[in-house]
Amino acid sequence: MEVKVEGGGEFCDASYEKICMSTLRDISLDSNIDSVYMNCNAAEHVFIISVKIGRVQSPITVGDMTIKGDERLTVTTETHAPKLLDLLWDRYGEKVEQISRLEIALKIDDDEMQKLMSHVVYDPRVDLNTRIMDGIDRILPEGARVRHPIRSTGRITIIASENPIKEEWKEKAKAMLSKMTKGDS
Amino acid sequence: MYKIMMFTGGVYKFSELKERVHDIGGFVLQEMVMQTETMMHLAFPEEEERIIRDKAKETGGKLKELPLAGAEIMVVVPSLGKHHAVDPMCDIAEFLRRKGAITNMMGLARGVGKRIAQITAREKEIIEECDAAVFVFGDFKECLEVKSKICEAVDVPYIIAGGDLEVDIEHYVGNIGRKTARMRHKEEIDMLELLTEKIELLINDRRRELDEDPLATSPLFIKEILDLVLPPKAGEEFSTIMQLEGLRVKIEAGDEEKLKNVAIGKRKLSDICEIKKSEYDGYILKILPEAVTGSVF
Repeated sequence: MEVKVEGGGEFCDASYEKICMSTLRDISLDSNIDSVYMNCNAAEHVFIISVKIGRVQSPITVGDMTIKGDERLTVTTETHAPKLLDLLWDRYGEKVEQISRLEIALKIDDDEMQKLMSHVVYDPRVDLNTRIMDGIDRILPEGARVRHPIRSTGRITIIASENPIKEEWKEKAKAMLSKMTKGDS
Repeated sequence: MYKIMMFTGGVYKFSELKERVHDIGGFVLQEMVMQTETMMHLAFPEEEERIIRDKAKETGGKLKELPLAGAEIMVVVPSLGKHHAVDPMCDIAEFLRRKGAITNMMGLARGVGKRIAQITAREKEIIEECDAAVFVFGDFKECLEVKSKICEAVDVPYIIAGGDLEVDIEHYVGNIGRKTARMRHKEEIDMLELLTEKIELLINDRRRELDEDPLATSPLFIKEILDLVLPPKAGEEFSTIMQLEGLRVKIEAGDEEKLKNVAIGKRKLSDICEIKKSEYDGYILKILPEAVTGSVF
């Protein structure tokens, strides 16, 4: 993930680069983002952040995160275990019993079990935008609560300020964005 | 004047050290025994330091100076949101505690932003109940310059911690700013040391002023008596917090009269102290100067 921060002065740019990196890493977004560009104008209190979305993990199926046994599943990737249990309880109700931390007993026939293995537990693409917006919210200064999004493909761009956002800034952000999009292609 | 130091060591001859402190007219402010380890905060007359050092050496323990002991410091951040808490707010508070201070942490209700940042009258009163304050703001020079005006309204010594290094405001320590991880690198620890040194200077100035116009009695002496008369409940820590010119006493609502009538020498506590309910926690006791109250003995 490439991070570039401009306009805040030497110290602030370096500090915000660190903030971007660690914030996105904390919420496990660093592998889903190609680059982050941030422009800080503290004098006018306007901050522009543009995030280029990169490759996203493919959907995780039951088969990806468990090993099938005799009327039981052994969880191999615990990260999405709560989502798996949620899905199983929802579909099979009382037929599901969590025996131990990683063992789930499932009283269903073999055909049903086979079908279940290709069922999607979690699709990272579904809540990607929400997670990126959460990351942006954590990065931008807290006082900059007036937000204006700029539409573009493959990017999320936000202008933030504590004051109403002027047309001048929207134009500036669009110009920056088109420059970056040219660089992307 | 009293000197406050921290003793750490084993339990060997530990009670003898305590006795020696009491013999020379000192106080044990805090005591913690963890199996075979002990930790004590000791206050004793400055001129008797040699005796305590010798005794500590005999017991095989260590003495550490606590330059901020006896002071209550408020760490103020623009908000308690994830942008300012837990780092660097808790790092600063922890560092101040290591130097002996009692710290409180506070997030302002409307402290974020540049133009929109403000402090309420109640927040100002709460900060002024403490001996000093550390305002922890963000990175940008422009915001820091505007926000420093908020701090000017506060009537206690204060330090502003920010990010940008080229900020020309009073009582400023830079290179801290917004953090997303614990301050554990050498240069970060150095900045925390610098901040503590600056706070220490402010506290020492206030101590010097108090020496010129001494209080009716030392807060240490009142604390000792209050701990006997209004003992802390089981499991309760810091029911009496020392300040430079008084104390914060956490008592139950009905005990206010009892507090006022506590005998200090020949006088009642209400004769030598201004007692008011704290906006934040407990009661604030401001000890009046001896020139106003006369001798308590």
